[in-house]
Amino acid sequence: MAETNSPIARSVTAEDRPGDLLAVCFQALGGPCEVLLATADRSLALELGTLAAQEAWRIEQKFSRYRDDSVVAGIHSQRGRMITVDPETASLLDFAEQCYRISDGLFDITSGVLRKVWHFDGSDRVPGVSEVARVLPLVGFTKLGWNSPQLLLPVGMELDFGGFGKEYAVDRVYELLAARRTGSFLVNLGGDLRANHPPPSGRWQIGIERPETDRQAALLLELEHGALATSGDAKRFLLKDGVRYGHVLDPRTGWPVPGAPRSVTVAASSCTEAGLVSTLALLHGAHAGEFLSEQGLRYWVLE
Amino acid sequence: MQLTRRTQSVRHQLAAASCALLGATAARGQDTGGVAPEVQAGDWSVDSALAYYHEDGRIQAIEPVVDVSKAFSAGQLLGLKLTADSLSGASPNGALPSNKAQTFASPSGTSLSPVAASGKAAHPYTVLPGQLPEDPDYHDQRVAAALSWDQPLTRLTQMSAGSKLSYEDDFFSASVNASIAHDFNEKNTTASLEVNGEFDTINPIGGTPVPLSDYLLFDKTSGNEHKNGAGVLLGLTQVITAQWVAELNLTADRFTGYLTDPYKIISVIDPVGNTTGYLYEHRPDERTRRSVYLENRVGWSRASVALSLRYMTDDWRVHSETVQLTPRWWMAARTQFLEPTFRWYHQSAAYFYTPWLSNTDTEVGYASSDQRLAAFDAVTYGLKYGIKIDDARQELSLRIEYYQQRQTDRMAAPATLEGLDLYPGVRAILVQVGWHF
Repeated sequence: MAETNSPIARSVTAEDRPGDLLAVCFQALGGPCEVLLATADRSLALELGTLAAQEAWRIEQKFSRYRDDSVVAGIHSQRGRMITVDPETASLLDFAEQCYRISDGLFDITSGVLRKVWHFDGSDRVPGVSEVARVLPLVGFTKLGWNSPQLLLPVGMELDFGGFGKEYAVDRVYELLAARRTGSFLVNLGGDLRANHPPPSGRWQIGIERPETDRQAALLLELEHGALATSGDAKRFLLKDGVRYGHVLDPRTGWPVPGAPRSVTVAASSCTEAGLVSTLALLHGAHAGEFLSEQGLRYWVLE
Repeated sequence: MQLTRRTQSVRHQLAAASCALLGATAARGQDTGGVAPEVQAGDWSVDSALAYYHEDGRIQAIEPVVDVSKAFSAGQLLGLKLTADSLSGASPNGALPSNKAQTFASPSGTSLSPVAASGKAAHPYTVLPGQLPEDPDYHDQRVAAALSWDQPLTRLTQMSAGSKLSYEDDFFSASVNASIAHDFNEKNTTASLEVNGEFDTINPIGGTPVPLSDYLLFDKTSGNEHKNGAGVLLGLTQVITAQWVAELNLTADRFTGYLTDPYKIISVIDPVGNTTGYLYEHRPDERTRRSVYLENRVGWSRASVALSLRYMTDDWRVHSETVQLTPRWWMAARTQFLEPTFRWYHQSAAYFYTPWLSNTDTEVGYASSDQRLAAFDAVTYGLKYGIKIDDARQELSLRIEYYQQRQTDRMAAPATLEGLDLYPGVRAILVQVGWHF
């Protein structure tokens, strides 16, 4: 959903859901979002839902790579110069640095520049080796001059918080609501979600999209509390000569990770953690299952 | 760093990194088990409580407290706390029960007669044989105000400063404190340093008695006494697992000045136990204390528990140990909680503590018969119930505690005092109602 600078959708609507739940729905971060609340108080639901939506829109507007007015765009316009970033951006950069180290370079927020040669539109236009080799020197977190809160983004490099932006938004919205409410609620931003307590019916029923079709749920999960994040190439891939190139690129080589499952869903206590583990699982390609079983978290893999 | 990576799974490190990003409020906050309502910038948060305290046959107290905080957008916090105390009832004056009736003057009295020389009404009181001498008219009002300011300096460092003023009928205290705290280790470790100072003025009702002078001479000087103190606290908080936080505090403080209780006397008895007179008590003019405190807090989704240990020692040779266990259970989708408390306390006596003086003692340096300086054991059993209302915007709580103190290390009673309860101990209950909004 590459919508540059259109005003962020401002409508928030409430609707009833089975199981004595109220859902507040809005569009954000490129997809449908909702907050499910165990309450019958519609005006309270709208009030909390609006708070949630505003936080999601704030994060979208701040970190989206598709918007000219985002902080990310601001950073990109100052390449080659030392700039000072705000505390929230600094926290995200520190986090990205830790993930880079923990994953031995597999997770890298500077890998977005590879999109210049890889276009995952379902076609067969796979880039050549030299094309990838030309772009690869522009990838590598260690090439950033990051010394909190000062950042130097070298010319030609890019930052992309898409790898954990939505999960971070889920956790931020969750904290906002948790400070105001102890009744059960579930925050769902485009499939990445987190719940505080079980709903009146006992469990939250979650459907995980099947990669091929987007209507039928492939997995029906039951969640009491905690977070779920899904990483996958549901709709983004290239198919050439019968070989499927998943959209998960190894930032160290510039090429897709072979044997990556279509989709990995992980359950953890925070959405950020769940999202990172699921993304790292995909980056382990054929060894995704092995990696996931070592982490001690619940997970579901769709091949 | 390499060792860390080999011994911890990736997930553990990611969990720690995520916690650091999201602020790990659950692990590091005071309330591991709770969803403590955050103070959003611009919000006022109020904690109020009313406590009623009653000692069996002794004093009772009512204490309202209001604690207001306001958060600002850059993470600063302003705090104002007002406390008022009203105590009344009977308070032991330090003398021993006797097999004869005893008469004492009230604190402002200068003789045992009902009319003081100054014309002020005095209230002498008579204690029956065998009874513990207590001033039946003890009363004291206290009002205190504390102001504090928390200021983040960098993303990982925070400083805070505060001051407190306290007024009582005969006592005025002013204190200041400043502290700095720094987070390390992806916010898994916090180290802090606090320094504080206190400046107290004591104006005893009826004047300051000359230490160890004969009670019935009513030899008192007018004018203020002073005591000052300075202290330092070193703290270390460590997140051990996602559920478990440990905190270690080392403190030291030193007070100098007038540390004696101007209203307490000590009975002087002959070898068979008859009271021959009374002397005003006398404590050293310096006290240095050190303590080590370790607390462990473990939190899960529906319950939490805190276990703490404190060891304190000072140069009056009062050594004390405290163990406290406080589990908490959340119920009804985390809108209610039940929190029992068990506390066990033991202290050894100050070296100059003595329940009485002998009329054959020739040299007395320091002496006090104040029960609070004696060797004793104490247990507290408490239960607190809390409920969130108005959609979690407010919280009501009720706390009830029972306290029992028993003196250990008792001196053998001389003949005529046999059978009398010389060490009655303390039994008290506390009921406190709280409202947070």
